[in-house]
Amino acid sequence: MLAFLRRLAGHLVRGVVMIWVVTTFTFVLVRLMPGDPVQTQYEKLLAQGVSAEQARAQVQVTYGFVPHGSWISQYGDYLWKLLHFDLGKSVSAQGVSVTTEVLGAAKWTIGLVLAGTLLSFVIGVVLGVIAAMKREGHVGSILSLIGSLLHGIPQYVMALVLVTFLTVKLKLFSTGPVNGLIDPGFNGPYLASIISHAVLPAAAFALSSFGGYLLTMKSSVVSVLGDDFILASELRGIKPSIIFRYVARNALLPLFTVLALSLGFMIGGAVFIEHAFNYPGMGAMLIDSIGNRDYSEMSGAFLLITGAVILANIAADLLYSAIDPRVRHGGAT
Amino acid sequence: MTAVTQPSEVDGKKVGPAVRISDLTVAYRTPAGELPAVSRINLELAPGSITGLVGESGSGKSTMALAMLNAVQKPGRITDGSIEIDGLGDVVSLAGKRLREARGGEIGYVFQAAQNSLNPLKTVGKQLLDLARSHHVEDKRALVRQAKELLSRMGLSGDRVLDSYQHELSGGMRQRVGIMLALVLNAHLLVLDEPTTALDMISQSNILSIIRDVHAERGLTTLVVTHDIGVVAEVADRVAVMYGGRLVEQGPTTEVLKDPKHPYTRGLINAIPRLTGDPEVAQPLPGRPPTLGTIPKQGCVFRERCARYAADPREDCETTDPVASEITPGRLVACHPVAAGLPVEVSVEEGR
Repeated sequence: MLAFLRRLAGHLVRGVVMIWVVTTFTFVLVRLMPGDPVQTQYEKLLAQGVSAEQARAQVQVTYGFVPHGSWISQYGDYLWKLLHFDLGKSVSAQGVSVTTEVLGAAKWTIGLVLAGTLLSFVIGVVLGVIAAMKREGHVGSILSLIGSLLHGIPQYVMALVLVTFLTVKLKLFSTGPVNGLIDPGFNGPYLASIISHAVLPAAAFALSSFGGYLLTMKSSVVSVLGDDFILASELRGIKPSIIFRYVARNALLPLFTVLALSLGFMIGGAVFIEHAFNYPGMGAMLIDSIGNRDYSEMSGAFLLITGAVILANIAADLLYSAIDPRVRHGGAT
Repeated sequence: MTAVTQPSEVDGKKVGPAVRISDLTVAYRTPAGELPAVSRINLELAPGSITGLVGESGSGKSTMALAMLNAVQKPGRITDGSIEIDGLGDVVSLAGKRLREARGGEIGYVFQAAQNSLNPLKTVGKQLLDLARSHHVEDKRALVRQAKELLSRMGLSGDRVLDSYQHELSGGMRQRVGIMLALVLNAHLLVLDEPTTALDMISQSNILSIIRDVHAERGLTTLVVTHDIGVVAEVADRVAVMYGGRLVEQGPTTEVLKDPKHPYTRGLINAIPRLTGDPEVAQPLPGRPPTLGTIPKQGCVFRERCARYAADPREDCETTDPVASEITPGRLVACHPVAAGLPVEVSVEEGR
């Protein structure tokens, strides 16, 4: 237990350092982008027919955010606020705090990508086992081929294909936004509306990513099947069902790490899929904020993504030590 | 002690079952067709005996060991012959559930020490319970007690070992766990594949004395497959020498080691370096052992490396595969010149 806590503490310290490094990077990178938020808003107002004077004043008054001062002082300011969990105010959505914005988008993304990732994991693992068991026949080759093909199709192509056929041609799904007339909350119609909107994006996500799990699982199962202890168990007369469990658990080990890491990356959203389905997730928000040169929103989004990836890494490591005794005790032979 | 499966044969005193291997042929499917790795082998394991099966790598001895459990791995298969085990019948004709239960139940198999024969994610104890579940053992407590008894008999702490994972055990400990798992269900025929390979000298002699003692105490019939003549000299009552998938010589260990008849056995024994005396006396056998594809199709499989054939090429060595013939009671040699009563020595060899 003590070793576990020490390990956890080490992870957390490293995590905080990582977050600091990444936030510093994004702070600089974001400001290296051409154009600045004031300029962008200013031009927007001009385009709306506001006079130059008025526009300048309005930008300053409304957003209270003028990137004056040196980068150093901005950076100090940013870090200080960050320590208080204050990510600043969004520039594009007036007066809304970035935290609210980012968490609002993350909520949608997690639902979508979590469902998609778990779906693709389950499909990939099951088909991978079948492909490994039947690797000498046609079934195995066909499954591997399908896996490689789907793995090779970019997400946005998959998304567009699904939209074209299922929504536009067959009209199985509605194209509009989540029905605003229904009371938001935990009630049947609202949830049904959300689910009907999330099915296609989740399916697109799962279809374009299960191939990787399939191929990894297949090779993992094949390698475990060749391990000595499987033959040894057969020679001890161990039941096939128990041997199957031996194989499954050993073969799943490397996939858990992949799964945990992809769960971390899922906060980043599936940019292309969200875009294709007009889905209000992190990916869409990130693109908008880049378009608006919304520094604080960008930084906030990147911060959340970073934190999620780091947390997932920690979780993967701890999970691995829970399922693999060789890691748990720190020594492997 | 709980008799978990029917002991194969216990008449009065504890003695393992007799095993009769007749005309056993195992072939592997290769791009060049089905090639025999084991060719028409006849071998009898007397009840309660320890037989050593010796050969170089590629001689077919591990295939033989697997065949004892009808467990030859694809693309290989037993194409001919039978393995009759007292109280169990012909293993070659067993299949399905009966075959699975014979493995571990009546026939114990111990993997090479260097190989990882345990599931790395489960403790030894959990795997013992998997064994119980697979063989319908009612009384799991008795089985655990039995396992602990066996382990402590072999000098290990039962409680500690059952709570350990494979990576927490040394090579010698793993080997003893392997023997425990092979015998805990009361198997009376024990097959050990390279039991001492990859162990240090102390562990080697430990394992060998354990094999000898457990064999006697539990009344087993044991087959030890090894490339190490020293192991055979240490534990085996009888020795069978394999070359190119054939049994070229068999007989009581002391006789064969003292007075090897087949040129191959002779070469094998001459190749052992001695601790005392001139190391130069050890003569490596020239050439390489044949592989599946290079085994001569006709004639004696050993003739290309045979010193006797080199000195005196006989026609029958080239045309017919020699059949094992009984030179003296219990002593079989498959060699044309030996069968013809000619001396094996063709050139003067240094005395040893």
